[in-house]
Amino acid sequence: MALTTQTYIRRAERDDLDTVVAWMEHEDFQRFLYGDPARSPKQVREKIVGMLGRAVGHTMPGGIYLLIDSPTLGPLGLLSLQNISWRNRSCSIDLYIGKAEHRRGLIAASAIYQTLEYCFHELNLHRVAAYIYAFNTASWRILEKTGAQRELVLKDHVAREGQLYDLYGYGLLRSEYDAFRAQYERSAGGFSLETMIEALRKAAPESGG
Amino acid sequence: MIRGDHTFIRGTEQDDVEALYQLYMSGEIRAGLLDVRREPLLPTRDDLRDLLTRKEIADGTFYTVEDCVGHIAGFCSLRGHNAESGFIEYILEFSDTDDYASPMALEAHAFLLERAFTRLRVRKVLAHAVSGEQALTAFLQSVGFHSAGIQREVVFAQGDWHHLETLVLHSADLAVTGD
Repeated sequence: MALTTQTYIRRAERDDLDTVVAWMEHEDFQRFLYGDPARSPKQVREKIVGMLGRAVGHTMPGGIYLLIDSPTLGPLGLLSLQNISWRNRSCSIDLYIGKAEHRRGLIAASAIYQTLEYCFHELNLHRVAAYIYAFNTASWRILEKTGAQRELVLKDHVAREGQLYDLYGYGLLRSEYDAFRAQYERSAGGFSLETMIEALRKAAPESGG
Repeated sequence: MIRGDHTFIRGTEQDDVEALYQLYMSGEIRAGLLDVRREPLLPTRDDLRDLLTRKEIADGTFYTVEDCVGHIAGFCSLRGHNAESGFIEYILEFSDTDDYASPMALEAHAFLLERAFTRLRVRKVLAHAVSGEQALTAFLQSVGFHSAGIQREVVFAQGDWHHLETLVLHSADLAVTGD
């Protein structure tokens, strides 16, 4: 489990551009995230450059882009907090794990929990949303484990490979996340991300997906 | 201009800014007037003038609904057209919520559906309503929309949290009911 305890999230920097651009060329990146076939590779690249190249200003940003990193494995994935509303104290999250072999493991779960910690206990948000394609079972199962509710089901909403798939909208309120956190605090004898993940792992060995 | 028995529906013009401004300033939380982050907007008249000069609006995707004597009753729009997945967002905003129960609403609705299903050939239209918009929700349900779910505590306004319901109308549903 060393992999999961050593992973951490950090701000994405311009130095990460080559890594992220390599991920975005994966078929899966377009399948799971930004899969508009009308958008050319150049346009997708420009989007990523725009995301990572955004200068850190003094105003509160509307989007935050994070890298999932590991001292032993290097950058593992990209996490973005989109449409941050400071008035509604909400955002939506997107996650992409670059290496397919890590998508179903605890690395993805760890990244999600670290992100939720950051959203609720650092940014003081009230609600986190995620829009996940129905075929991306690993992702929505991880989110459901945190207490997120499937609030929205849009039938035949997204086209991939000439087929239509459902889109799920998930919502997690801070009170629900805190209840989830408290549950693992009790079972793990004190809260930390590592103890929570370890407790999750013991409770469900396939918890990653 | 589309002339119905109870409405005139036409592309929104610069002269409509005051009526649109009053809609934003009505104090009611309206899903159709939220921004992409689901925040209520408080635009100035100049902001709205700028908005109405944008190409997509000048090209006719935002419409003014007048009653039969020429008073502006509300606005309607289709936005966010996704051609590949075949859907578009439907917006119908009346200044007086009683108008959702009037024939004007049915005519504006028929106008939007004709644009969406016949001209743009989408498979479904999506509409949103915040928890306080009972008149809009009741109207949408009466014309065949069904709920795809309620997103909880999405909007914070006027000291309280508001839910956001998404309603969907499939073109296939209309074919079945014969509408």
